[in-house]
Amino acid sequence: MRKLVLNLRLFIDGALLSYIALFRWLQPHTYLASKVVMPLAQILFFTLMGIFASGPGNAAFYAIGNAIHLASINGIYGVTMSIGGDRWSGALPYIFGTPANRLVLFSGRAFFHVLDGMLGVIMGLAWGVLLFGLDLSQADLGALALTILITTFSTSGLGLLLGCVSLVSIETMFVNNTFYFLLLAFSGANIPLTEMPGWMQSVAWALPLTRGIAASRQLIAGSTLAEVAPLLAGEFLLGGLYILLGYSLFRWFEFQAKRRGTLEAF
Amino acid sequence: MKPGLWRQHVRAGLAAFEVTLRINAPDSFVLFTIVVQPLIIAIMAMWMLVERGAANALYVVVGSGMTGLWSTLLFLGGNSINWERWTGTLELMVGQPTPVAVIVFGKNAAVVFQSLLSMVASYTVAAILFRQPLSVEQPLLFAVSLLLTMVAFVSFGLVIAPLFLLSPAVQHFQNAIEFPIYMLGGFLFPIALLPGWTTPFSYLLAPFWAARALHGASTGGASLEELAFDWGMMLLLGAIYLLISGRLIERMLRKARSEATLRLE
Repeated sequence: MRKLVLNLRLFIDGALLSYIALFRWLQPHTYLASKVVMPLAQILFFTLMGIFASGPGNAAFYAIGNAIHLASINGIYGVTMSIGGDRWSGALPYIFGTPANRLVLFSGRAFFHVLDGMLGVIMGLAWGVLLFGLDLSQADLGALALTILITTFSTSGLGLLLGCVSLVSIETMFVNNTFYFLLLAFSGANIPLTEMPGWMQSVAWALPLTRGIAASRQLIAGSTLAEVAPLLAGEFLLGGLYILLGYSLFRWFEFQAKRRGTLEAF
Repeated sequence: MKPGLWRQHVRAGLAAFEVTLRINAPDSFVLFTIVVQPLIIAIMAMWMLVERGAANALYVVVGSGMTGLWSTLLFLGGNSINWERWTGTLELMVGQPTPVAVIVFGKNAAVVFQSLLSMVASYTVAAILFRQPLSVEQPLLFAVSLLLTMVAFVSFGLVIAPLFLLSPAVQHFQNAIEFPIYMLGGFLFPIALLPGWTTPFSYLLAPFWAARALHGASTGGASLEELAFDWGMMLLLGAIYLLISGRLIERMLRKARSEATLRLE
């Protein structure tokens, strides 16, 4: 019982402190710039480009796709930087020196980003409603919230995997930026999956977000939770798989770093 | 200005240009901004615009290239003074006899020159991946437009760099102002899609006139008079930017010296 309480405390304290450290900031203007203004500008740009391409009737397609894609701001940048930040700030030797449960420690880095990521997606959808008249009247809002939660979770799974890369590489931002933009192109946020060639579709289905975006579009169009359940189950499993892969890498890097004495090598 | 002094400034500017090119060449962030990001945007735009007949491939090549041009200027040119502070060389730069503006001009010129690779990357995507026929309708006018675009962008960078140093609050919004300029500049869709009240902001931005000139010259959709007007606007705005940047750099140096905060963030 005591172990459970300790692990729970480790999870919550670790999650909270890592989030606060990342937004050392927690200053309103920094949050405003990265979580409100930048996402708004991105939604506007791609939705207007979509309108230019196919007319105002398709605005919802782009507004939904890009709003859900916002999950990757927290999922990729937030989570990766939370893990990589331990290395940059020199805390990694202390963390690896503790007897703390590694899975709790590792997954805790993503916890607040899942919640904050959900808030980001909801804000994105709200921009869609306000600016492009996105109609949510047919949507089962509970099911949509569940979809957002699962999508943010799976994207954070990818973030945890990429975060491990930041433990051994200094090219974290290059990797993060590239994945962020690849998700824009491959997840179906802006290009319908049916228009992609076969190899691109295969890549798309192996990435988080793809099923989440498809499910969100269907729910907003009036589908029920049961109808999108297979997509959500796939998204959830994919997220779990990414976390598992990330955790395995995390342990392997810990082992290698300790063996070679490269915990703080850059 | 004495001819000797003028030569000295040109030499210092060229040295800053060369050193910046050398420093940026192996930088992965530069690679991302100049090549990877415009390439992914070009792929999306080719699918969204060209495949549906909303625009031709050359329009996308120029527009995507310009996104790379702007992003590079924003992140690298914008930080060109801050970068000296981060590496501890700002005091040396300020202390030597060449004006800071000359050094920053050389650095920004290198950044803008490198970012022309964005257009090459977009061109490659359109030509190889999408097998689109690409021929610039008015090559000479396009070359002049490209040259003036570089001048206008370098001048614009001279305003951003001291502004970011003077106001960290503005710099916090660095990421957030990337896409708005894509839109206000009309890089990949006409500004007519934006609300009318934003149009004056577009007119105040040299990137808007640059995009107009490059799109017009590449697709042959603009007459010589229209292009001449775009070039004139780029030159006029470039001159205004230089005046503003001179004041900003002066203020930055006065503030840094009087408050002894040259090194401090």
